[in-house]
Amino acid sequence: MATLDIPDAVQVARTKRQARPDWMRIFYSRTALVGLFLVTFWVATALLAPILPLPSPTDSDAMAMGNPYPSAAHWLGTDILGRDILSRLIFGARTVLSVAPLSVAVAMIVGITMGMPAGYYGGWIDTVISRFSDIILAFPVLVIYVILIANIGPSVMNIVIATTIASAPGIGRITRGLVLGLKEQEYIAAARLRAENTLYIMLVELLPNCRSMLIVDACLRIGYTIITIGILGFLGLGLPPPNPDWGGMVKESVTVLNVWPLMSLIPSAALVSLVLGFNLLADGMREAWKP
Amino acid sequence: MNLIVSNLKGAAMSGSSKSDTVLDIKDLRIEFHGKSETVVAVPALSFSVKAGESYGLVGESGCGKSTTAMAIMGYLGNTGVIAGGSILFEGKELIGASAKELRAIRGRQIAMVYQDPMSALNPVKTIGSQLAEVPLLHLGASRKDAMEMAAAMLGDVRLPDAGDMLKRYPHQLSGGQQQRVVIAMALLARPSLLLLDEPTTGLDVTVEAAVIDLIGELRRRYSTSLLFISHNLGLIAETCDRVGIMYSGEMVEEGTTGDLFRKPRHPYTQGLIDCIPDITHDKRSRSLAAIPGHIPLPQERPTGCFFAPRCAGFTAGLCDRPDLELEDIGANHMVRCVRWRDMRRSQPAQLTQIGKAQAQTEAVAVSDLTKLYRLSGDKTLKANESVSFSAAKAEIVALVGESGCGKSTLARIVTGLDRATSGEVRIAGENIAEIQAKDRPRHLLQSVQMIFQNPDSTLNPSHSAAFSIRRSIKKFGIRKGKVAIEERVRELLEMVRLSPTIANRKPNQLSGGQKQRIAIARAFAADPSLIVADEPVSALDVSVQAAIVTLLLDIQREKQSTMLFISHDLALVRHVADKVVVMYLGKVMEQGTVEEVFGGGTHPYTEALISAIRSPNPDEKPRDRVHLTGDTPSPINVPAGCRFATRCHRKVGAVCDSVPPPLRKMSDTHDIACHIEAAGLSARPSPFGAFVQGRV
Repeated sequence: MATLDIPDAVQVARTKRQARPDWMRIFYSRTALVGLFLVTFWVATALLAPILPLPSPTDSDAMAMGNPYPSAAHWLGTDILGRDILSRLIFGARTVLSVAPLSVAVAMIVGITMGMPAGYYGGWIDTVISRFSDIILAFPVLVIYVILIANIGPSVMNIVIATTIASAPGIGRITRGLVLGLKEQEYIAAARLRAENTLYIMLVELLPNCRSMLIVDACLRIGYTIITIGILGFLGLGLPPPNPDWGGMVKESVTVLNVWPLMSLIPSAALVSLVLGFNLLADGMREAWKP
Repeated sequence: MNLIVSNLKGAAMSGSSKSDTVLDIKDLRIEFHGKSETVVAVPALSFSVKAGESYGLVGESGCGKSTTAMAIMGYLGNTGVIAGGSILFEGKELIGASAKELRAIRGRQIAMVYQDPMSALNPVKTIGSQLAEVPLLHLGASRKDAMEMAAAMLGDVRLPDAGDMLKRYPHQLSGGQQQRVVIAMALLARPSLLLLDEPTTGLDVTVEAAVIDLIGELRRRYSTSLLFISHNLGLIAETCDRVGIMYSGEMVEEGTTGDLFRKPRHPYTQGLIDCIPDITHDKRSRSLAAIPGHIPLPQERPTGCFFAPRCAGFTAGLCDRPDLELEDIGANHMVRCVRWRDMRRSQPAQLTQIGKAQAQTEAVAVSDLTKLYRLSGDKTLKANESVSFSAAKAEIVALVGESGCGKSTLARIVTGLDRATSGEVRIAGENIAEIQAKDRPRHLLQSVQMIFQNPDSTLNPSHSAAFSIRRSIKKFGIRKGKVAIEERVRELLEMVRLSPTIANRKPNQLSGGQKQRIAIARAFAADPSLIVADEPVSALDVSVQAAIVTLLLDIQREKQSTMLFISHDLALVRHVADKVVVMYLGKVMEQGTVEEVFGGGTHPYTEALISAIRSPNPDEKPRDRVHLTGDTPSPINVPAGCRFATRCHRKVGAVCDSVPPPLRKMSDTHDIACHIEAAGLSARPSPFGAFVQGRV
């Protein structure tokens, strides 16, 4: 008993085995890797858009309007207004990859702020917050979007507000559920016995343990938000033209679907691959971080 | 060894007329294939169970004993693979047998009883229909016959009014009753081999005693062979004919029960026996010998003897040879140790002279403490009812009782995690019973600190091990400034005998014992005058338990802090405490010094608790067993008179059911709440006869 708890040899072995941080485990998951590849691909193209040798996404090429098929000048062809599809696709990725994560980030902050106290305090605080969330969750999400954006007009800010209202209650509910389980843990009792204040317990003791679940959820939500942004664009409620926007691209070309299917299929495929990327990444992370 | 064992032996003799080997395992190798690595859970295991024999497989968590049982049943899951060896059941090879052949054997000829009865029973089907499935499927019985067999078997496992029981659902039964149903289900097909995997681990001691008696009795009646898996040496010694000790996937010693416990040869077996507290000794008559270190993970096993890193007798060139074999040393005794001839039981550590706590500044006084929880409707749960006791400075007061007795609620009230309904808890003259932690002034919080039960939830998995120790020092201003705080953290880690390098590890890189040491360091970081320890070692392996208990006692003595030690383990309490408070359903049944409570003349409940303890000491005098009937009543609906009246074996009469018992003053320090007159109580002799001297 006078000796230290572990013999040295064993200690070394343990450290070596555990040296890799937990999040690295996602590299063992094939699902996560495929998702990560798809997402990284789109993020990289979006970031590189300004320096890629692309035609302008908003200028019409009058020559190509009559013959919108892929050519050396326009790799994926042009749309009915003669704008380069590849360029619009890549600049559209910039839009979607900035608006979707931004909206989810804001929704996360609001949702966690709602869920933490609801789970930690319980009682009437929980009742008020949970019932309020229930009311919002009972609205059809798309209707909320359409009402909001139709009334205050399309802009990035409005998409963020609409997404926040639609997803914050769900995030709050997940946080509340996690906190409900975590607050009974003995380390929380230990924190209370050393006179920690509630805000400290929430932010330092509880939140880090909700981390992995919330990251997975955020990842899924970014996927859903990308779909929503696509739908809004399709309904003409997305970003005001001539900004490149995947949903808008489908909408503009859907009338000529029978003649020139590529014009609407290409942006749809882009949307599918990005959303699939986020979903696979989320699934892979959930699998890899499973306790 | 006591009477029951010798009876079992008799049964083994009569059963062995078939003189066959029921189960024969040879060189069994079990691997788990993970995504990134393959883990060899069991490298090469051989043992056999003879017809009518009861074989005990002992080991601590992670030694592969449950994996072996699962391999016999063929339930290794998607990742488990039997990579070699053979499992012969009545001469038939089970490895590689077709699903159809296995189905005919499982449940019919080999049955299993799992640790958790609640998950072994289907919650949406009645007990009757679940039991009847066995004869319907395996014996081809008609539905009516099957139900009759089920009812008869329930009678055999001594479940009251079997007819009604058949219509009930699992959640309507207590844990002990559920486990009886599972045993009944296992025995219905009259299997020739019954696997019991820690069948009583989740049960209270008095219920455990009854289940163990039942298993012994049923075994004699049906002459079934048993493979009994447990970490509890006392239980194994009582129920088994032969014992195998497993360590890190290997059999390290095997022999007949009497021989092995009397003359253990392997240093691990010796260590296991020496590290468990026994009910006949206290901290002044015996010190616990801990085994240093912990079981290696499968991928960290050393070459040669797996126990070598923890062994005092390790000799380079002998113990690290890779060709170590189980060696037959006669009388059916096998040992995997090259130096077994030289392995002497380690001499008992020098007993530290522990003076009685000097009289007597009162440190904590609990008086008339009551805690009611209002439930829906007009129901109230009485967690504590007028509990009174006190502790002097530097004294250790143990609160003992089975689950639901209110001992943990009391701990939560004292620490301020919960608020009392009425009554007082006085510390240094201040009544803190109704002040919760968040309202307590800092000096009060600092003076009461807690050590929790579960090593896996006591540290925040997101922060480093030393994080909360550091925080505690900072919050209470024990030291100021970064350097001084770090210095103090190092001192505290040294105090709990951990290397300072551990400070920055995350909890998932620490073993259970290490986490509990950190928790102890955290509690003492605040320099408290009162430590509340709620089952601090019950979740740890026995070999680690001893180390943690010894450490806790050493620190407590050095710091002169008062301690409330909460436990259900009476042997441990006897070893730790100065004073004992026995609780049952929220009320104090008895309190007194250790000598008084564990001596003669105790409350009937204490008597039952003590008699339920099993000792692995084969030479210990057999003790009279008190058989309690029934289960602990629900704390929502407590008996009107004496709380213990429904199960008491010394009930006086109707008065017990209607009138709360008076307090009998046995001595200045010894109180018993019982209707039996003081003279009648003290007439009972000590359960241990004369005090057993010497070592186990």
